[in-house]
Amino acid sequence: MQMVSMVSSGTSKEAVTARELGIVACKRCTKASAMGTERCPRCGHRLHSRDPLSLQRVWAFWIVGFLCYIPANTYPMLRTQTLFQVDESTIIGGAVELAHYGSFGIAAIILFASVVIPLAKFWAIAYLAISVKQPVLVSNHRRQFMYEIVEYIGRWSMVDIFVVAILSALVQLRTLASINPGPAAIFFALSVIFTMLSAQAFDSRMIWDVNAKGRTRGS
Amino acid sequence: MNDDLPEVNVSPARKVFLSGASVVWIIPLLALVAALYVAWQSYNSRGPLITIEFEQGAGIKAGETELRYRDVTVGVVEKVGFSGGLEKVIANVRVDKDVAPFIDSGSVFWIVQPEVSAQGITGLSTVLSGVYIEGSWDETPGAYMERFQGASVAPLIRPGQSGLQLAFRTVANGQLTDNAPILFKGIEVGKIGRAEIAPRGNFAIVEALIYEDHRHLINESTRFWDTSGFSVNISPAGAEIDFSSIATLVGGGVTFDTFVSGGGQVQDGTVFEVFPDKESARNSLFNASSVDPLEISVIFDDNISGLAVGAPVELSGFKIGEVSVLSGVVNPDEFGDARVRLNANLSIQPARLGLPGEVTAANALDFLQGRVEAGLRARLASASLLTGGLKVEFVLVDDAPDAVLESPDGGLPVMPTTENETSDAAATVEGVFTRINNLPIEELLNSAITFLDSAETLISSEDLRATPTDVRALLADLQGLVTSDDVQNIPVSLNATLERVEALVAELERQRIAESLSNVLTAASSAATAVETSVAGLPDLLTQIEAVAAKVESLSLEELVTEVTELSQAAEALLADEDLRETPADVRALLAQLQGLVASEAVQNIPVSLNTTLGRVDALVAELERQRIAENLASVLASAASAATAVETSVAGVPDLVTRIEAVAAKVETLAIEELITEVTALSTSAEALLSDEDLRQAPADVRALLAQVQGLIGSEEVRNVPVLLNAMLTRVEGLVAQLEEEQIVARLGTVLADASDAATAVESSVAGVPELVEQIQAVAAKADSLAVEELVTELTALTASADTLIASEDARALPGSLKRALDEVNYTLQELREGGAIENVNRTLASARNAADNIAVSAQDLPRIVDRLTALFAQAGRTIEGYNRGDDLTRAAQSALREIQKAADALASLARTIERNPNSLLLGR
Repeated sequence: MQMVSMVSSGTSKEAVTARELGIVACKRCTKASAMGTERCPRCGHRLHSRDPLSLQRVWAFWIVGFLCYIPANTYPMLRTQTLFQVDESTIIGGAVELAHYGSFGIAAIILFASVVIPLAKFWAIAYLAISVKQPVLVSNHRRQFMYEIVEYIGRWSMVDIFVVAILSALVQLRTLASINPGPAAIFFALSVIFTMLSAQAFDSRMIWDVNAKGRTRGS
Repeated sequence: MNDDLPEVNVSPARKVFLSGASVVWIIPLLALVAALYVAWQSYNSRGPLITIEFEQGAGIKAGETELRYRDVTVGVVEKVGFSGGLEKVIANVRVDKDVAPFIDSGSVFWIVQPEVSAQGITGLSTVLSGVYIEGSWDETPGAYMERFQGASVAPLIRPGQSGLQLAFRTVANGQLTDNAPILFKGIEVGKIGRAEIAPRGNFAIVEALIYEDHRHLINESTRFWDTSGFSVNISPAGAEIDFSSIATLVGGGVTFDTFVSGGGQVQDGTVFEVFPDKESARNSLFNASSVDPLEISVIFDDNISGLAVGAPVELSGFKIGEVSVLSGVVNPDEFGDARVRLNANLSIQPARLGLPGEVTAANALDFLQGRVEAGLRARLASASLLTGGLKVEFVLVDDAPDAVLESPDGGLPVMPTTENETSDAAATVEGVFTRINNLPIEELLNSAITFLDSAETLISSEDLRATPTDVRALLADLQGLVTSDDVQNIPVSLNATLERVEALVAELERQRIAESLSNVLTAASSAATAVETSVAGLPDLLTQIEAVAAKVESLSLEELVTEVTELSQAAEALLADEDLRETPADVRALLAQLQGLVASEAVQNIPVSLNTTLGRVDALVAELERQRIAENLASVLASAASAATAVETSVAGVPDLVTRIEAVAAKVETLAIEELITEVTALSTSAEALLSDEDLRQAPADVRALLAQVQGLIGSEEVRNVPVLLNAMLTRVEGLVAQLEEEQIVARLGTVLADASDAATAVESSVAGVPELVEQIQAVAAKADSLAVEELVTELTALTASADTLIASEDARALPGSLKRALDEVNYTLQELREGGAIENVNRTLASARNAADNIAVSAQDLPRIVDRLTALFAQAGRTIEGYNRGDDLTRAAQSALREIQKAADALASLARTIERNPNSLLLGR
């Protein structure tokens, strides 16, 4: 609701940034201070108008997350040991197998949750990080909305890991049937973690800086 | 409006590269390094990829099927494909790096899949997990090799596996199957690989492995035999089925034993023979099967059934070989007939002969040749009582005809034979059976019944019952006969008869005198000669007579008188006999007969013959006259004259002699003639009594009968032929006389007359001594005068008395009657026998005997059939037992059972294969 109001407010009239007003807000206790103040007079937190290493952290975490995402897909996610055989299936392999046996719904969910979403997050974070430096067609409001979605979804990205953990815990029938997490689970979890760190490292205030400059230039 | 903010220095000083870089970049760097490290390590630990070619994929899956070494995974199949022409399945296997150096050219790969066999189920784990590839290689690294040929079956001996590797050669019917165990005292000490047919196709060869632990159990003397299947043994103790284990029953198995010690160490690759059973394995120990057997041939004259291929050949009871070939042989040229003879080829094992030196067939042949010269012969002998099976036996025969073990025209050496000995046990038993069979028991019983019936009827017959009575009567009669007067009178009758015969003979002799006429002349001639000589010795004779007279004088004239008295008594008795009185009548009859005989033409011809004979004599006399008989007669008469003169002189002494004789007569007169007469009278009385006996009276009747017989005899044609014969004889005499005529009988008569004249002369001279003789006679008479005639009379009296008592004894009188009665009884008995049923009984008994004989004949006809049946029975038994041997029915049943088991096993195997291919089907039900 707030975002909507902000957007509507943004669109309704020209907004003046705190930076333009020479004010810097403490990110911990939100006390506004004059630009140039090193530390928050109230809580002592270091004050930055813009985070100077934000993009570097974004990209660093993004890279690690993406690196982890590769083995998360190539290595088997689940090691299903039944009476007769051990079945190790990767995320995509499992989804394909499910689809092969006719469970298209489940296959679609797995594909969406484990492949589409993480890949979309990587794309979204990278796009946001690039859009800070390069002028893009997408409006600031939409990018802010994209960022908020990424932030919101990030916490649900571990659902796969939860499923694997719960299955591993539940299906331990000794030799008859047992499910153990595969190596991909760890990598997948790492990938999710680093993706979330990358998303958090992004300073969303930079989204608006482009407009400010453009407006400044235009004005 | 933001111009007052230029002091905000966004990038105050660009110091060095990466000075503004966040430390957060370390994280991706570390991640990258970790990733790279993992990648490198993964690559580094990866072994080489080898390619294995298989005939069949057998469920190999890429990425799943493992390569295992000693049941440890050392690699994974990465790819499964085909060779270029789809000939083979190619599996690319990623092997572990640390194992890879050992996989060299000696490596063997095969696919392990579930297998259900008689030895058990193997590879069961692969039912669930899928097949895997088992690899086997030795422990030494070798040159790297990329391409391998996969084996279709697991090799028996895996590289690097230790153990004694053997090969089995067997001619048995292939009971050895894959992985069959080699058992020793029930413990598996090895196993057998797949049996293969040897290149020449004459036996099967099997690879075998003895585990290292049991290697020491095998040496060169070890013998293996087949324990597969089961053995059925039918013995007196009962039927017995024996098999060592179910596994060996189905899948076969081999066991072994070392019967003798001292075998050498066995090297890998040694070939052993697998024998069908323990016995043959044990027997084979003495066989050097590497030595070629000695083949010889034997031709038996008798083609006796029972000899079969494989029958043992024994020397002194020890098996030295067996019959290898049997055939018939017909060779008229060699044997002389077209009979089919039994030709048996014998396979002699030289090693079994125990020859010194090198064991070869040639040495064995030399040995046998030597033995054959010493009398060794082949013969057929019974091997089995029950089946009548035969064997060939070499025996030493004493006094065997010379023979050699020769080989004609490059053929097999032919062993000489001798008489077969098949008749010992089997033939004896057979003979016993035959004899028992031959016994006409039923017929014998029938005959016995008939006989008993006959005996019963015989015994129950009244005739036979009457027999004892008759016998008693017979005995009584005999007794009566013996005591009868008739019998007792027999001696008398016999006496009389004999006397009559004597008289008759004397009469006959007298009558024969006429027949002796022909001898008269000769006798006269000799008599004349004798007279001549005696006349010549007449003076000496007179002298002698005188001496005799002197002697007589000294003689005991009394004894003479006694003898004379006896003689006179006997004569009296004889003359007093009525028979003698009747004898003249008989003699008259006889004479009448003779008269008839004489009246017969033949006898009447006799005078004619005599006439002619006398005529001849006349002629002879005339002839004599003609010759100088007259002169001879004259000389004779002269001699007679001189003799008469001499007599004259002798007669001069006669009055003295007469005087003497008178004296003797006087003496005799004084004798007790009265007593003698009395005695003679008594004797006559006794004789009268004896003669008055009826029996004696019958005796003349008997004599009459005898004479009647003689009459009949004389009346018989033969006697009537006698005159004819006499005629013929007289004719002969006539001829003889004629012959005499011809010969110089006249001359002889002349000499006779000359002799007579000499005799007359001698008489003349002897008459001269007559007076002396008369004197001597006188002396004799004087002597007789003094004889004791009284004693003679006394003796005669006593003798007569004795005879009287003898004749008067009752026994003698009773004898004839008893004899007669006995004869009557005998006669009656004979009649009884003729009339009674004895002969019928005998006839009946003989008929029964004939029936019995007929029955025996009938049963003898049955005998061949029974023998045939027995033969058939034996043949049946033989076939049955043979059948057990060949395993016809039983083995067929067992084979079908095994086939069923095999089918079941096949079904199980296919089920297992299905499960293996599609394990999910167990869960999914598909």
